[in-house]
Amino acid sequence: MANAWKIARKSNAQLPLVIVIALAVVLVLLGKAQSGLFDQARMRVTDWMAPVLMKVRAPVQGFDRWMGSVSEIFSVYEQNLKLKEENARLRQWRNVAIVLQGRVGRYQTLLHAVPAPQLNAVLARVIGRASRPFLQTMVLDAGRGNQVLPGEAVVDARGMIGRIYLAGQRTSWVILLTDINSRIPVTVAPSSAKSAAGMAQGNIQAMMTGDNTGQPALEMVSRLVTLHAGDQVVSSGDGGLLPPGLPIGTVVPDGHDGWRVSLLADPASSQDVEVLNFSKPPEPLPPTAQLPAEAAGLKPMEPPPPPVTAAPTAPAPVAAKPKPVAAAPEAASGEDVDR
Amino acid sequence: MATLERPGTSGSLKFLTALVPLFCGLLCAFLSNIPVSLLGGVVPPPLLALVPVYYWCLVRPDLMTPAAALTVGFAEDVLSGGPPGVWTLAFVLTYALVARQRDSFAGLSGLAAVLGFAAAALVACATAWLTVAALHGHLPPLAPILGELAMTVLFYIPTAYVIGLLHHRLVGASRGDI
Repeated sequence: MANAWKIARKSNAQLPLVIVIALAVVLVLLGKAQSGLFDQARMRVTDWMAPVLMKVRAPVQGFDRWMGSVSEIFSVYEQNLKLKEENARLRQWRNVAIVLQGRVGRYQTLLHAVPAPQLNAVLARVIGRASRPFLQTMVLDAGRGNQVLPGEAVVDARGMIGRIYLAGQRTSWVILLTDINSRIPVTVAPSSAKSAAGMAQGNIQAMMTGDNTGQPALEMVSRLVTLHAGDQVVSSGDGGLLPPGLPIGTVVPDGHDGWRVSLLADPASSQDVEVLNFSKPPEPLPPTAQLPAEAAGLKPMEPPPPPVTAAPTAPAPVAAKPKPVAAAPEAASGEDVDR
Repeated sequence: MATLERPGTSGSLKFLTALVPLFCGLLCAFLSNIPVSLLGGVVPPPLLALVPVYYWCLVRPDLMTPAAALTVGFAEDVLSGGPPGVWTLAFVLTYALVARQRDSFAGLSGLAAVLGFAAAALVACATAWLTVAALHGHLPPLAPILGELAMTVLFYIPTAYVIGLLHHRLVGASRGDI
């Protein structure tokens, strides 16, 4: 190869080289301080590439599926047996879940529980993925034009995948939970009675940090807690950025006295995802009839009568009367409350 | 530095040919950063943009200048989505090393030439890895960057072949320095 290369022996570039190295260092520092400058450029490029990515999506997806089928063809029988067993187990759990869901619904009616805030979701399609050494991301075909904003949670049918990192006009980048820059406050809930007994203090708050491996690490807020393999990990909602209770994964030991999270979602195979628009609205004050005193069957105090004026020019303000509640007969009955 | 004057080449054409190394670097950065992940993201994409920087730094340093290496590294940064400036610094430092040891690198042939590029790619990846470690305050995992290094070296042979063709057909050698 050396014969083919006729090289230049001298280059008068020593001085620019020093300046260029200094410029590169400045760029690193500037990027650390003002990363938004780079993000704008990235989003413009991705928006511009979006039509091309949508075109190449189908063949790439087909190739991925074909490669996956080649590698899995040798384990089809074992997987089939395992899936049948898992399916039978899940059917049992489904029945339990239906019963519990009904019971929770009745309790909520009895207690007049404030319902969880509604989440607006934007359905988006994955049009690109990148697994770089310092960034694991996917590109969605929805951006600010579809009300997708940075910080919003991205979930698929199985659980949370990540958060919106950059949002352009037509596309957005998702930072995956496994990425080195990802930090999510989570709640670890016991998965069994044995775990619950170990967690005398109830659910455990922790921080889930990605490190570019397949299973993010769990950093405990408290060092005195005990976890068990299989405990459920959900988003805690601390900080108000993410909705609480999003399923994330299960706890697994890392083999070095630490714990990691085996994610429910698989970003490598997700094709359609939902971007959850969670902006925690201020909780509205419940009507008077829903206050605990009213629910307990006690009569609320009558509001004071309006002051009498000699010649009212405008109609007097009408005092708010308690509104009847649909479930009031059931909830207000003493029998139900005492139960 | 005098450059080879081909018969019939006009000034504007000469100017365009001089930009071929830079355009190749930018094109390679674009191609390697298209967010399409084959094999489920198990295999990282190669650092294709390093190949033209390395090649023309050896062959035509008057065309692949430090500023051109900086531009290609910056493009890699913007397109890859990682921490800004990391690949810019890595490319510029690798360029500095290769330019300093140009005679040693250019004298290699065959498998040794591939190993020479592997050494340069190792410098680039190590620089990027250490920069990210400094920015984040802890060491990032080694496996992804080693995977990228392996893929870059693997893709060096076909990429260098294509770049060699472009060089001989469009750019040509520097007459005054041969």
